[in-house]
Amino acid sequence: MSMNEVIAVLAAIFVAPIIGGIVAGIDRKVTARLQGRYGPPLLQPFYDVFKLFGKEKMIVNYWQIICAYMYLAADVLTVVLLALQSDLLLIFFVLAVGGVFLVIGALAAESPYSQIGAQRELIQMLTYEPLLILVFVGIYLETGSFKISDIIANYHEPLLLSLPLLFVVLGYALVIKLKKSPFDIATSHHAHQEIVKGVLTEYSGPYLAIIEISHWYETVFILGLCALFWHTNFIWMAVLLVVTYFGEVLVDNICARLTWRWMLPHAWTGGLIMSFANYFWIYEKIK
Amino acid sequence: MVDSLIGISILLPFIAGALCFFTKNHRVRAAIIVTTGIILTISSLMIFQNLNGPYLYTPETLLGLKVNSLITFADFALLFIILAIAFKLGNPLVIVLTLLQIIPLAYFELKMAPHVEVTPALYIDNLSIIMNLIISIVGSLICIFGIRYMEEHEHHLHLKKSRQPRFFFFLVMFLGAMNGLVFANNLLWLYFFWEVTTFCSFMLIGHDKTEIAIRNATRALWMNMTGGVAFVAAIIFIYYNTQSMEYLSLQALINHGPEVMTALLLPFALLCFAGFTKAAQVPFQSWLCGAMVAPTPVSALLHSSTMVKAGVYIVVRMAPGYQGTFLSTMVATFGAFTFLTASALAVNMSNGKKILAYSTIANLGLIIACAGINTPAAIIAAVLLIIFHAISKGLLFLCVGTIEHAIGSRDIEDMRGLYNSMPAVSRITIIGILTMMLPPFGALMSKWMAIEAAANIPWVVVMIALGSGLTVLFWARWAGIFVSGPHLKVFESQGKEGFFAPLVTIFKGFYTKAKWKDPASIKVPLVSLAIGAIILSLSVPWLYTFLVDPVLSCYKPGLFVEPFKTGPMGFTSGAGAFYVLPVFLVSIIAYLAAVVAAKQKDHRVFSAPYMCGEQYADIAEPKFRSHLNNWTNYVPANIYMQDIIGESKISYWINIIALIILIVLFGEVLR
Amino acid sequence: MKSFINKSRVKSPWLIHFDCGSCNGCDIEVLACLTPVYDIERFGILNVGNPKHADILVVTGTVNHRNKKALRNVYDQMPEPKVVVAVGACGTTGGIFREAYNVVGGVDKIIPVDAYVSGCAAKPESIIDGVIIALGKLAEKGKKVDQGIFERLENTQNFIKNR
Repeated sequence: MSMNEVIAVLAAIFVAPIIGGIVAGIDRKVTARLQGRYGPPLLQPFYDVFKLFGKEKMIVNYWQIICAYMYLAADVLTVVLLALQSDLLLIFFVLAVGGVFLVIGALAAESPYSQIGAQRELIQMLTYEPLLILVFVGIYLETGSFKISDIIANYHEPLLLSLPLLFVVLGYALVIKLKKSPFDIATSHHAHQEIVKGVLTEYSGPYLAIIEISHWYETVFILGLCALFWHTNFIWMAVLLVVTYFGEVLVDNICARLTWRWMLPHAWTGGLIMSFANYFWIYEKIK
Repeated sequence: MVDSLIGISILLPFIAGALCFFTKNHRVRAAIIVTTGIILTISSLMIFQNLNGPYLYTPETLLGLKVNSLITFADFALLFIILAIAFKLGNPLVIVLTLLQIIPLAYFELKMAPHVEVTPALYIDNLSIIMNLIISIVGSLICIFGIRYMEEHEHHLHLKKSRQPRFFFFLVMFLGAMNGLVFANNLLWLYFFWEVTTFCSFMLIGHDKTEIAIRNATRALWMNMTGGVAFVAAIIFIYYNTQSMEYLSLQALINHGPEVMTALLLPFALLCFAGFTKAAQVPFQSWLCGAMVAPTPVSALLHSSTMVKAGVYIVVRMAPGYQGTFLSTMVATFGAFTFLTASALAVNMSNGKKILAYSTIANLGLIIACAGINTPAAIIAAVLLIIFHAISKGLLFLCVGTIEHAIGSRDIEDMRGLYNSMPAVSRITIIGILTMMLPPFGALMSKWMAIEAAANIPWVVVMIALGSGLTVLFWARWAGIFVSGPHLKVFESQGKEGFFAPLVTIFKGFYTKAKWKDPASIKVPLVSLAIGAIILSLSVPWLYTFLVDPVLSCYKPGLFVEPFKTGPMGFTSGAGAFYVLPVFLVSIIAYLAAVVAAKQKDHRVFSAPYMCGEQYADIAEPKFRSHLNNWTNYVPANIYMQDIIGESKISYWINIIALIILIVLFGEVLR
Repeated sequence: MKSFINKSRVKSPWLIHFDCGSCNGCDIEVLACLTPVYDIERFGILNVGNPKHADILVVTGTVNHRNKKALRNVYDQMPEPKVVVAVGACGTTGGIFREAYNVVGGVDKIIPVDAYVSGCAAKPESIIDGVIIALGKLAEKGKKVDQGIFERLENTQNFIKNR
């Protein structure tokens, strides 16, 4: 491992949650402003998490603890692999590990709320996972590699210009992944009102804090993924990230919740059509 | 040395099977089975040890008889037995299909090409060895599991006269037939072993002799018979199209020159079709699902190490032969379609064995898709998938069988909270499930290879992507169901604290006081398969270098391109990298940290799940206060999406589409 | 670290609202606190639906024999440190229903209450005020939790026994 890689790993482990937390704070602030409120302080997510660490440990069974830790580990590893510019598909699979353990932990409690939440979370995973794979395949078709390092080294144009439709697919998948409205089906950020707290109902205290931190890592991973679409220029990358994230927050605030029966078929058909259109475009260009 | 080991691998199971048939004492029978298993395992390991490159061998005589004529004779004898059974069943379809094999085969053997001699008759390379290792080790463990299982099974059925001799006759013989199948190079010999597996599976599926068992066995028989007919047709067309005996050798068939490609395309398609039927690909999936009525060792054997693996073996084996043709693309499409649809069907199953069955079909579809993609990387993916799938699936079937005997149900809804009553078996089942679905375990690594290999054929990769999303859904919720329940303090030992508590927990789970009461013949297969699944995944770079990579070098001379580089971290290819060891390391560290955190000696409260303040006082019971102060039980259940992708709804359309793909495949080949 | 956690407790109180048997007057006022006019999220306050995530239990309405068990269960499912705010005339004393045959009385008959908010219905300002007062107690209890003192079961049970 070279020095750069060590720095990248350390940054991924220690800086990523801080960025993720601040992004979550901005998210809440922007949401409040969109709703005509003043909103919480920027550091509110940190207060929340530290408070949760100070709470009593309350569990239904030990599996929740195991699952919370595995979830965190998977998400940290996701970001580390991203920082090491490794294989996109591998990163994706590691991300899926986190989701699976979150669900197992929720199923471990025999509560109807967390069980239904877990089932819905699984359906959300089912919806966005193929879409993400399609995006990665599109990146491969365009650049000839699944490895981020190869893409950055060998491909010198913004990916967004050749994969615009796939970027839309990615945005679609990320709304589902981030559990933003209209797809906050498994659990909701707003007033915690969907089936109590859905998949997170039975995680409490420090374990909820661990899951919250994993969410921050996920946010960073997602931003990193979007950044890949304009890796050539730092300013445009920043613009792209800001626009994308603001778009997500905006959609979050203007949409009512939909059911999974709507989400699954629409996301799949829309995603498939756009992916194929984009693949076709790439083929034409290569020809 | 290797000659005799090969002889042992093929003949010993036949002899041991016959011994089992004539032994009435079940202790002696158990001893025979265990000894056979051990000898088979040792012999397969020794073949692997002594093999340097492909090994050619043509046995001339057996007990003074010519082996070739012996097999021809046995072949016809077997077909006539099946014909007799068909008449007894009164099933015209089976009769016609059997006659469709007997008559052309007789015409071929007597008229077209009498006394075919193919050298070498047996050809053992690394692919055969991998199959042989799987069959001998996993298959033997399943047979050993069967000893005690069948005792309990017959006890449940209240049988007066034990039918175990017959059962073990076919079960053990199956291993021999499979070993013969993977060693054979002479297509006629291959065909003989092919039919033996069909026949054995028919007898084993119908073993319980209930009405449904016989019906499903018959269905399995006729579906596999169509494959047999295709096989015979392939043999005849090879001879007819090329007018040469040479291509009846599998190796010659695969390594043919470009000038005979058009002549051999139809035989390839027919052999692939035979493989599809045996591997229960759509539209033939119903026989494998119907096979679930058989006792668990049978389903475990059919699904993991034998039978269906014969189907994918032949498709993967022949892959270089049809590389670059239209057929290859169609095979990839067909496999990917099966992967997608079988995964979708698995999602709406609540019967544990049927979930496993559909998942098997899906994985076989993926293997076949890899064979169709037909790049070196894809072939590696297929071979690795065969290995890891055999172990994990064998393990899962045995687990479900054990659970079924304990709780009397194979419905996954009934397995809710099973960790509280059967901690050990539940833990092993969860390990089995996780090895099927999560990185860094081998099955998922093979899927990674498959997706990267398939990335150049968009429609194939789309189907694989959708299918893999579906697989995560049904595996994850099954794993979750096992641990869904309250914490039971009675089973937790309070004495050990501090350093030892996490250590004990890692090996014995949270319920250290709970005893695992099953006999050794059930414990040993479960534990060794679970450990094997983990260790093999961990040592996958080694496995790749020593076992799987050589498959390519003797796969097709001149084709040798090493698709992956192994390093201390894992795999790298031209387009990607999969870090096995780091992911393993992080998972293990996270697991250890979690266990330490869980067993830390500090203040912790066990609470009932949130029930709007109406939960029952005892947290071990899931009840809530309902109207009139009644305590009502609640049972959460899974979403099966029956109304969207219910089996009865979509099976018809799946079969139609699959048939269309097959018709297009053959239409293009015949054109 | 500990001081930051303690600071965070005051800065991030999540409250759960439990309606015992209110006429909905106070409930509407509690929800009014969430609206842009009062916007209690300024103080990091979130309204959660799950006692396992909550720090503050806001109870409105009189306690009766049917729902006192539910109230106690919800209170028991809140992890320490936690405080209770009784809102409105009914929540604090039983209000006009005090003498009814099915009514137990105020919230403090069942669980220990840390802050009382008067009014019928209580004004949003006074509810916020009550919550802020309760936050002081939350910080005190938090310090005990930091020292490893969890009073939850004994304290509650003794409290109820002594009634």
